[in-house]
Amino acid sequence: MRKIRISSLLYILLMLLAICIFIMPVALAVLTSFKSKPELAKSILSLPATWNLDNYKGAVERSDFLNSLKNTVAVVAPSVVIIVLCSSMSGYTVARHSRDSRALRLLDKVYLASLMIPFQILMIPVYKIYKSLHLLNTLHGMIFMLVGTSIAYSSFLYVGFVKGIPHEIEESAYMDGCSEFRCFWLITFPLLKAISATVAALHTMWLWNDFNIAVILLQKENVRTITIKQFYFFGKYTADYGMAFAAAILSMIPVVACFMFMQKYIVNGIVVGAVKS
Amino acid sequence: MKKRSLTKYLFALPGFCFFAFAMLIPFMMGIHIAFTDWDGVASTYTFVGLANFAAIFRDTRMYAPFFNTLEFALLGTIIGNLIPLGLALLVNSPYRRMSSIARVIFFVPVCLSSVLTAFLWRFIYHEFFPKVFGCRNILGSTRWVILGIVLIGVWNTAGTNMLIYLSGLKNIPVELYEAAKMDGASPCQQFGRITLPLLMPSFSVCVTLTLTSWLKEFATTLSATGGGPGGASRTISIYVFDNLYKYYKAGYGQAISLLFALMLIVVGLLVSSFFRRREIEL
Repeated sequence: MRKIRISSLLYILLMLLAICIFIMPVALAVLTSFKSKPELAKSILSLPATWNLDNYKGAVERSDFLNSLKNTVAVVAPSVVIIVLCSSMSGYTVARHSRDSRALRLLDKVYLASLMIPFQILMIPVYKIYKSLHLLNTLHGMIFMLVGTSIAYSSFLYVGFVKGIPHEIEESAYMDGCSEFRCFWLITFPLLKAISATVAALHTMWLWNDFNIAVILLQKENVRTITIKQFYFFGKYTADYGMAFAAAILSMIPVVACFMFMQKYIVNGIVVGAVKS
Repeated sequence: MKKRSLTKYLFALPGFCFFAFAMLIPFMMGIHIAFTDWDGVASTYTFVGLANFAAIFRDTRMYAPFFNTLEFALLGTIIGNLIPLGLALLVNSPYRRMSSIARVIFFVPVCLSSVLTAFLWRFIYHEFFPKVFGCRNILGSTRWVILGIVLIGVWNTAGTNMLIYLSGLKNIPVELYEAAKMDGASPCQQFGRITLPLLMPSFSVCVTLTLTSWLKEFATTLSATGGGPGGASRTISIYVFDNLYKYYKAGYGQAISLLFALMLIVVGLLVSSFFRRREIEL
């Protein structure tokens, strides 16, 4: 009996330690964001004297936060919608027709192989294409790229899901003279709700945080998304930690909120994606 | 019937257009650029054959990024799997409420961008550790900087691997442990003889994913140190990026990344087949 108590005590201690290590950086950021410069100089760990919002005001004004938030939303929202629409259609058709179409089987293989390609290999050619098409520093150019690099993985998630849905319902709708296109949107797509939520939640998180593509395509001040804005902002304001952390916290809120609401779907997406690949 | 056979391709078309524009065409073009001396700015360039590839092997500036990348991959794969496995074992426990809270907490860093994470940790290394524990900033040391960045990256991504290990642990039938306990197996024996072998599928996914993602390491390092101090944490990816934006040698950079991608695919296939062979069917 005693042995069990000691091991469970040890277990709880380990757990608390792990939780502390994981939460410490975020907690420290929250604390620091409320402190004035002299306060921070005195002590890093102490609680702020007053919970004043000066740093937040400063961050919003100086980092041009609202503009970069607007850019991020303008890029991420349409991208996620397009990804869900396109990849659900393509996942559906691969799942249903790849048995009798060599082209679709090939498409499935090409998508799978493309998951192995590192982004670095596309960096220079994409820059070149965008330069000649005058798409550099445009938000729609950014959307094309985000969607294009996400399609393969999200289609892949849909294929697995569609295969698990019985096709009798669709068949009976065809019999009644429904076109395949209408049939997909009216009958199949609503059945894909769970996987659509997963794809949307995962990509909202990933695209919101995208750095690799944005750093190549969005060089001009007025089109920068939050991540890329912060990359330059943090470089400039290392002396004023309070304000930089206020900016960091502000940008964290939307993604963490998205995760909290969509937790179930995100967790599911990661596990399913890992098992299938 | 004819009409239906066409629709099935129409369904795949919109997605494929985006894919072709963003990946397929750049990929094809990349192969072409690797054989030219394009500087990244000019509209004209000449075909130089294999000169770029020959230059890679003579480039002394290439050594450091190459070995740094290997060090990143080695440290990142080891630490980036041991810690998530430990977390998964902690979370997979009889204390329901605590472990479900812990699972959420361990996953929160995954939501943060690598730029943000790197900044948080730069503050911790630079201000918090020296003032509270009195140790030096490891991001400023040429010897330890890679370990420092790996710890940042592991904090950032541990949640993903933890989930994969956790789902692996949940798939192990409880009866096996009960039977082992009856036969008098110690907890260590149970872990070594039941848990580890049955986790092989999770290992093969996680090790392959972490290894290839650390070989590609780019964003965290660029925002944590920019490749410094003195190039001590510069990776191949950053070197490719520098060839485009700093040295104006896009053709040469592309040749490096082409060779690098090839290496990555070979390594990925080798590692995943290594683990696949050790998987056990129940």
